[in-house]
Amino acid sequence: MSERKYRDEINKLTFEQAIHQLKDIVSKIEQGEIPLQDSLDQYEKGMALIKHCRGILQKAEKRIEKISREEPPEQEEDSAPLLKE
Amino acid sequence: MQTQTQTRTKIYTVTQVNSLVKEVLDAHLPARITVKGEISDWKEHGSGHRYFCLKDEESVLPCAMWRTSFAGVKFKPANGLAVVVSGNIDLYVPQGRYKLIVEEMMPAGMGALQLAFEQMVKKLEAEGLFSDMHKKPLPKYPQRIGILTSESGAAVHDIADSVHNRWPCTRLYLYPVPVQGPGAAEAIAAAIADVNRRNDRLKLDVLIVGRGGGSLEDLWAFNEEILARSIYASRIPIISAVGHEVDVTVADLVADARASTPTKAGVVAVPNVDDVLSDLVHQEKRLTGSIRARHDISCEYLRTVLASAVFRTPLLPVLNREQHLDDLAWDLGDAMRTVFIRTQKLMQDYYEQVARIEPHRLLGRMMVELNELKSRSLAAVTRVLSNRQLKITAGENRLAALNPKSVLNRGYSITMNKQTGRVVRTAEDVQTDDLLMTELANDNLIESRVTNKLKRDLTAETETPDASDD
Repeated sequence: MSERKYRDEINKLTFEQAIHQLKDIVSKIEQGEIPLQDSLDQYEKGMALIKHCRGILQKAEKRIEKISREEPPEQEEDSAPLLKE
Repeated sequence: MQTQTQTRTKIYTVTQVNSLVKEVLDAHLPARITVKGEISDWKEHGSGHRYFCLKDEESVLPCAMWRTSFAGVKFKPANGLAVVVSGNIDLYVPQGRYKLIVEEMMPAGMGALQLAFEQMVKKLEAEGLFSDMHKKPLPKYPQRIGILTSESGAAVHDIADSVHNRWPCTRLYLYPVPVQGPGAAEAIAAAIADVNRRNDRLKLDVLIVGRGGGSLEDLWAFNEEILARSIYASRIPIISAVGHEVDVTVADLVADARASTPTKAGVVAVPNVDDVLSDLVHQEKRLTGSIRARHDISCEYLRTVLASAVFRTPLLPVLNREQHLDDLAWDLGDAMRTVFIRTQKLMQDYYEQVARIEPHRLLGRMMVELNELKSRSLAAVTRVLSNRQLKITAGENRLAALNPKSVLNRGYSITMNKQTGRVVRTAEDVQTDDLLMTELANDNLIESRVTNKLKRDLTAETETPDASDD
């Protein structure tokens, strides 16, 4: 429920950043480095990070897109679309 | 005769001779001969042609290799290198010298490509291109992976499957490039540079560059210098995945990581999603466990606090304070009593001390002392007074001796001028007819008048002795 307040912040994170933050939170809470109230907030954030990571992992992309060659920027006046299926 | 001789001995021009020799050589030597020897006197001409000699223990054979033929040589020929060359003998008519015109050159003893590979490895290694110092770390959880390989080969599917089987959540981007034949190395190198240049938009975490197995010739693009330098220059980490397990290419050596085959690319490039998921579960357990433990500890603490006496009887602090106040009141009363008793005792002590003094006895003692002091001071005063009396009498006697009037008894007198009232000391003190008063012993006075003033040896009317006033 209050995971919501972290959602925007977390959605911007890469998987690696999210995992890093999560491990940071876990070790901080385990070592009792943060006050109780903060630890509850951090717990919620940690759970949101886990959810975010799971979301990424469950996205089975399983597809290949093709990158087309692009001329160097000097000649690249009207550039072709960056990516195409 | 002469004409006979002329017909018998034909005279050739130099050119004709050289041309004749060339014809003979062309006619009798095989069109293509293969020669083994050691390179010496290697020269690279500005035109791109190469001139050198092949030699053995006894002889030297001049050789030339035209630019177009030399382009096919992958390794670098050098003096002392044993080679096997193929070509034809040609005589250069203007100079009458023959040369072996080399069309193909192979290193003796090993394949040309093998030698070229070894030479390239040595060169790039010396430059530090393979150093671990330059290897970029691979991302742990790549989300976008670029694949540089042939669109038509099996490698693209091998790489994609090996990645997606372990890590399905990543996106793959294929950049199709030729992977063999002339221009392949240049094309792959350009593709790497292109992707790097555009990566602020492409956002690729890692690149996989590779192809499936093949002959050394097929894989040759991956041994070329231009590709090695492009891989080295890439800011995006690059994984090489070329050929079979046994094939090692220059690209493998310079890449940040090497997959032995395209099917192993996934193992190198991505984590196993199951491992990552179970790590997530583990993290979740730790997080939940630690927060629960934290919660339990806090609850326990709260219970302890609530169970304490303060919360059971809220009035206790007040009661405690009241009791304390009572205690203080008691203490104050006790203290006051103590002070009172002590003061009383002190006064009693003083009274007794005073009573012990006995004033009358003290007075008697003082009277005795006083009397003694009185008689002692009286004696001292008397002594001083009699001393003084003696001194005064002596002084009186000495003073009497000094009285000017006492000389009157010895016949001197004192004369005064009655007009001036002064004692007459010299004749100048008087005028003729002045009245004089002369004092004699026993307070007798005579009055006289100055009749004349004379010098000594004349009769003096008036006696004028030296005397001073009293």
